[in-house]
Amino acid sequence: MIPALGEFALWIALPISIWGCVLAFLGGRWNRGDLVLSAERSTYAITILFVIASIGIITAFMRDQFQYWYVYNYSSTNLHPFFKFAGLWAGQRGSLLFWGLNLSLFSSLAVWMNRSRNRDLMPYMNGVLLAFIGFFISISLFVTPPFEQLGFTPADGRGLNPQLQNYWMTIHPPTMYVGFTSFNVPFAFAISALMVGRLDARWIQATRKWILTSWFFLTLAIIFGMRWAYEELGWGGFWFWDPVENASLLPWLVATAFLHSVMIQESRGMLKVWNMGLVLLTFLMTIFATFLTRSGLIESVHSFAQNLTIAWIFLGCMGITGAVCLVLIVWRYPVLVSERQFESALSRESAFLLNNLVLLGAAFAVIWGTMFPLLTEGLTGSKVAVGPPFFNQVNIPIGLILLALMGIGPVIAWRKASARNLKKNFLLPVAVFVSTAAVLFSAGVRHPYALLTFSIGAFVLTIIVVEFWKGTRARARIERENAFTAFVHLVRRNRRRWGGYIVHVGVVVMFMGFAGSAFNREVRQSMVPGDSVAVDSPFGHEYVLTYQGLSTTLVPSMRQAIALFSVEKDGVPAGSITTQRQLNLAVSPPQPISEVGIRSTFVEDLYLILATVDDEVLLGSNEPEFQRATFQFQINPLVPWIWYGGLVIAAGALIGLWPGAGVPTRTSRLGSGSQRRDTSTPAPTPRSDAAATLG
Amino acid sequence: MSALVPGVILALAMVVFVLYPIVSGREAQMEWDEEELTEAQHRRNVALLALRDVEYDFHAGKLDAADYGRLKQEISAEALRAIDEEEAEWLARHAEPGDPEREEGEPPPTARAALEAEIAALRDSIRAGVICPQCGSPNPKGSRYCGDCGAALPVPGSPAARAVRRSAGSG
Repeated sequence: MIPALGEFALWIALPISIWGCVLAFLGGRWNRGDLVLSAERSTYAITILFVIASIGIITAFMRDQFQYWYVYNYSSTNLHPFFKFAGLWAGQRGSLLFWGLNLSLFSSLAVWMNRSRNRDLMPYMNGVLLAFIGFFISISLFVTPPFEQLGFTPADGRGLNPQLQNYWMTIHPPTMYVGFTSFNVPFAFAISALMVGRLDARWIQATRKWILTSWFFLTLAIIFGMRWAYEELGWGGFWFWDPVENASLLPWLVATAFLHSVMIQESRGMLKVWNMGLVLLTFLMTIFATFLTRSGLIESVHSFAQNLTIAWIFLGCMGITGAVCLVLIVWRYPVLVSERQFESALSRESAFLLNNLVLLGAAFAVIWGTMFPLLTEGLTGSKVAVGPPFFNQVNIPIGLILLALMGIGPVIAWRKASARNLKKNFLLPVAVFVSTAAVLFSAGVRHPYALLTFSIGAFVLTIIVVEFWKGTRARARIERENAFTAFVHLVRRNRRRWGGYIVHVGVVVMFMGFAGSAFNREVRQSMVPGDSVAVDSPFGHEYVLTYQGLSTTLVPSMRQAIALFSVEKDGVPAGSITTQRQLNLAVSPPQPISEVGIRSTFVEDLYLILATVDDEVLLGSNEPEFQRATFQFQINPLVPWIWYGGLVIAAGALIGLWPGAGVPTRTSRLGSGSQRRDTSTPAPTPRSDAAATLG
Repeated sequence: MSALVPGVILALAMVVFVLYPIVSGREAQMEWDEEELTEAQHRRNVALLALRDVEYDFHAGKLDAADYGRLKQEISAEALRAIDEEEAEWLARHAEPGDPEREEGEPPPTARAALEAEIAALRDSIRAGVICPQCGSPNPKGSRYCGDCGAALPVPGSPAARAVRRSAGSG
């Protein structure tokens, strides 16, 4: 009954979304509070209906109701309940329903948070959100119905792809969806600001935390995806410039550009058109990413089935949305044009603008490389593969420029920096850069990009440490506080600035992790039990791995061959490591899957792949003659730093997101909207507010 | 079939929930909330925070004394302009109708007197908060360095500050 009610809920949601969307715009236009309230209630109602629909499909998974096409294709009776729950986003049909659920939840949250704020924008903003919600409900009802029934009830389902049976599966996709769908809110704010014509920085202030939240989740999702690929795909790396990986990177690059350039608008009132363009472009990139992921037009590790209907629908959505954005920007262009000019090329504004151009350059290179095979196929009929060499060749130099700008930007003052001050402030970081390069070169590091990454990283870290030190010292001196208190107050007073610096530290650590791949060691060897192999670490020690043998296990729909190795590090026993080769029998032809073995230390990973194994082993034989197997041994230096860097980035972003940071609002000083002023206290005046702001 | 009854109840409940404002005449707030920042208030905050940034950049050695002084003057002027505009808006918003003696938009006498006193106090504190012992220029209250010559200013309330203020007052 519950799945049937879920399907019913989706059918109820469609007319309510159309009703709410129309009423929201009419209510805004006619200034009718009853219509606007009805539209806002439509958003809340649709959220409840999406929750019921999602509970419906999860119930169908949990109860093994294989009469539903979606459950039959993505579950089986023996699937762990954990993955049955995650079945909601395991395939296309559930994913699009889950997308709608997220979108409606964020829309409701945005409407509720603004029930007594930004009221001139809210009708239009809600209307835009409801239009997109209606779009996703329609897709779920007419194109990819999650509740479609087979007409009979199979005894068991086809099972979930074993590569998806991994704990990252339960984390990575929802994080990505949260990042993508939460960006609808700032987009809707931007469109409503354009429609109403209220284009000062207040709409940006209303959306800043939303954008940072989306960015935070997108960042986490990308890192989770990298970790998943590293652990599960058995390619020996973490990033392969796969089209779907690229798709997630595009909105992230544009949103990162926006997070920097928005500061120029806030502090200088400049770049209004640019920032508006970036918000709209980020949203278009989320649709583009959905198009790439869901259409299946470009081959990807995510290997969704090709669906041309979905491809055309999302292309159409992107085209219409892009055209509307363009028309609105052209219409409001006179209001958006800034009266101010950049005062000096040597200013933080210029550094931020350069950062923006470089980030957009990277985004363009990624789009070009991703779409090139599709374009050539369309034009010439033959597909040209664009692989990691192209992306690395273009994006590594771009990444290094961005890394350097992370150091240069904070040292340059707003508006105008003098050459004398620049010289004074850059002396120490440049000295650190040169000495790091010299030390690494003399230690034998010759890889140019690695050398540059470590040296620029040291340059940036020096600048950030000096910034913290100077800030703490200045605060301690002015406020007569001890160093620790001064440091805490410094970060609390301007969380966005200092949180941003912490994010930069995380990025530097992560880049050093990327650069470590220049020193990867790799040995591939065919072995029988008792054989040993030695692998040298670039850090000077040696691992000796001795093959102990293969064992096979048969689990439902899957055969596993597990190889066991004992490990010695510099002659000292250091435990054991296993690696697996699996054969998924649930699909035809059976699909081989690697499960890598990873032994992690602070500076490197010992990474082991069972590359090939005799078919007889996978068919269940434990005979000694079939124990020969081929293994790939890798030392991946500094890869753990990528994950540490990710943690630091998350911590920095959370500091920036923490409530209370940034420009104080009138409401935040006076209490919430419902908490009216005590009439016995004098009313605050503009000038007492000003004093409070400076205070 | 068994889902039909709860489905219909659900549909009816949703329709009632969504249509209730139109039937009952209940309305969403449509007006600008008085406690929200106006554009002038926002510009004022931005200018004041920019002042804080300039102060920080100067302390951190990123700005020369001359640039610091020029920027500080420019941003202070921006802040004052925004505050003046904000005052005009505030006065217009708080005008009480029905007073024949008072022009439209003018605040009641008591409110105006209180506001003018506060404006004067704040203007004084911004324009002459601290007198530079080096060049004699007035600096906004809370400044640690002179906007004109960049010299370190005495900490407010210290004997040195009182001496400077006394000498400025007698001159």
